[in-house]
Amino acid sequence: MSKTTHTPAFMAGLEPLSRRSVLRGLAVGSMAVTTGCSRLFGRKEAPEALEYKHLTEDEVRTVIKLTGILLPAEKHGLPSALNDVPTVKNVDTMVGQMPKQTRELLGLALWVFENRPMVSFKFRRFSKLDDDKARDYVLAMQEGAFFERGLTSTLKTLITVNYWRDSRTWPGLDYTGPVTETWGVRRLGNAPLPRV
Amino acid sequence: MRIVTVPRDGVPVTDARAVVSDPALGKSFAVQADVVVVGSGAGGSVVAYEMAKAGRKVLILESGRYQPSASFTEHLGDTMTQIYRDQAGQFNTTADVLFVEGTCVGGSTVIGGCVMQQPDDAVLQGWADNYGLKGLAPDKIQPTFDLLGEQLNVRVNEAHEINATAHKVIQGCERMGYSWKPVQRNVKRCALTGHCLAGCPSDRKMSALVTHLPWAAAYGARLFSDTHVTRVMIRNGRATGVEAVVRDPDTGNIVSNMRVDANVVVVAGGTVQTPLLLQRSQINDRSGQLGRNMAVQPFVQIMGKFKEPLYGFRGALVGVQVDEFQKSDGFLFVSGLAEPEQLMVQGEQGAGDEHMEYMKSYKYMAGINAFSLDEGSGSVEWTGDLINGSKEIKWNPSRREFDNITRSAGLAARIFFSAGAEKVWLPTFKKLEAKNVFELDDQLSQVDYGINGMYTYRINTFNSHGTARMGADPYQSVVSPDGEVFGVSGLYVADSSLIPEPMAYAPHWTVQVLAKYVADRIQARASSHFVS
Repeated sequence: MSKTTHTPAFMAGLEPLSRRSVLRGLAVGSMAVTTGCSRLFGRKEAPEALEYKHLTEDEVRTVIKLTGILLPAEKHGLPSALNDVPTVKNVDTMVGQMPKQTRELLGLALWVFENRPMVSFKFRRFSKLDDDKARDYVLAMQEGAFFERGLTSTLKTLITVNYWRDSRTWPGLDYTGPVTETWGVRRLGNAPLPRV
Repeated sequence: MRIVTVPRDGVPVTDARAVVSDPALGKSFAVQADVVVVGSGAGGSVVAYEMAKAGRKVLILESGRYQPSASFTEHLGDTMTQIYRDQAGQFNTTADVLFVEGTCVGGSTVIGGCVMQQPDDAVLQGWADNYGLKGLAPDKIQPTFDLLGEQLNVRVNEAHEINATAHKVIQGCERMGYSWKPVQRNVKRCALTGHCLAGCPSDRKMSALVTHLPWAAAYGARLFSDTHVTRVMIRNGRATGVEAVVRDPDTGNIVSNMRVDANVVVVAGGTVQTPLLLQRSQINDRSGQLGRNMAVQPFVQIMGKFKEPLYGFRGALVGVQVDEFQKSDGFLFVSGLAEPEQLMVQGEQGAGDEHMEYMKSYKYMAGINAFSLDEGSGSVEWTGDLINGSKEIKWNPSRREFDNITRSAGLAARIFFSAGAEKVWLPTFKKLEAKNVFELDDQLSQVDYGINGMYTYRINTFNSHGTARMGADPYQSVVSPDGEVFGVSGLYVADSSLIPEPMAYAPHWTVQVLAKYVADRIQARASSHFVS
């Protein structure tokens, strides 16, 4: 038996839209609003808009997603890992100075991390997962087989180092950072020649 | 009478930029010297100074960049990017053991924690008896330890150099009945900034940057940075110099090719780089031991969280050591909590909210670095061509080494619980923490050895040694008791790769003593190396 649906008159014309289309429309709309608001309030460039010299587009997507999952800094009163601290840009710079062999391994690691969820999340890549699922995936990888743990720790280290290295994150930890200049510590210069 | 003047500040260095802008050098140039020293760290700097003081024309080649101490920012992240080997990303082949190494003028002496230890007499006597190194017997070598100790201002930490982290270690040891003592460091009037790992901007750390390198320069030694030695030139069983490339440190591009003709070549690149250079140079290694027998002295960091804020990152980085187990079990524990970035390589810090909470605990934390003695079964190998080839560092813990790491981590955790820690984070890839000693053993038992111990503990090494071991038997050792490579006249080694077997002591002081010893041997044989 077929099910008949009755659409109210004020919604006429929306029927052909699939749920996905609605979501896409919402996304485009919210992006427009976000862009407008960010310009209005002087927000810094979103990480997607920055220019990356060394990471590929796919890699940037993975790193941005992972940064957001690992470091929900604003919730904890710390500068945003995506909008205030240039975490992804820092990663990009570091990647630019990696030896060829390390760079190739990193590329492979990012590819595996991005595509590993295809098996267990209905053919979805990591960067396409919603935040809850992405978080579950990261935690599962961290508790997984030795190579999954290794892969996750490597990427986490790369990203978190490039966040916490920024001095803007330190006041939130009550960490004072460099002190020599503040304390007025005098430089001693070279040691004198030994007597013997 | 010759007047020798040490520069007040910094070291005169010819870097890649200077090479490019000097029309006399150009794209390819040659230099002559009596002695060319490859590497400017703990070993190279001492040899360079000794040889220059003896009137030799000395050239020092350093592959890293020159970072004057005045330019140190106390930002560990920036420092790691600029002067740590591979941006603090030099790993073994399975990418789970980190080999920390400085790659700059001054080498690892610039970024070290300043811990200076002299091996026990029994260790030195063992080298003399088992490897034929009679000159290193305690009674013979002690004066050299004393001399270097004086030159480097090695002394025991005073009370004001024991920070809150160290006090927690003391407290725990007192309750457990473990022996502890303040560490000896090579520091002059420490400013207690806690930024040792990022280089000392006020020149209080007695690194090669402010000691043997400027002293060598005062005696006329010349230093090139950004200069990567590709091979030692050998003709008819005799070292005749080296070939090198000068690279722009920012782009990695080769800006010039260099050849150095010298009577003596001293290789002092450290445990990893020295065997790689000798392999690239295709020396005739009769022993088959070149690049082998690498001891890594693996260490893990155990973090404790305490009820009260400690600000354990303030003050001298390393305050005390626990020496209870050093001779009996080969365990060395030293207190230390560095910058926030450093925490990222010490354990599993969770993700999301959990990670943020972990980091917000920073001011409540104390840290112990737990070193254990390994079996010396690591190796280093160069594969590929001279310029574009790559290194392979092989070391994973054996079952016994793994058990040692587990035991040392457990002891360190107990010290913190005895000092009142509310929680201890274990140094594992899997997230493990214990709230009391009863949970501790259960948590540690979850660390399964698995396949070659891979991705179990987050292991670091700062003290690796032994890849070109010294000994009297050319079929068992790479280097003779004089420090000369067997079968190649005039080619010497003067760094941590000489150490003949695994030891449970921080090797910095020993390396400098060995370098002085090798320099003395070169001088003693001057007539066979130098015309005048």
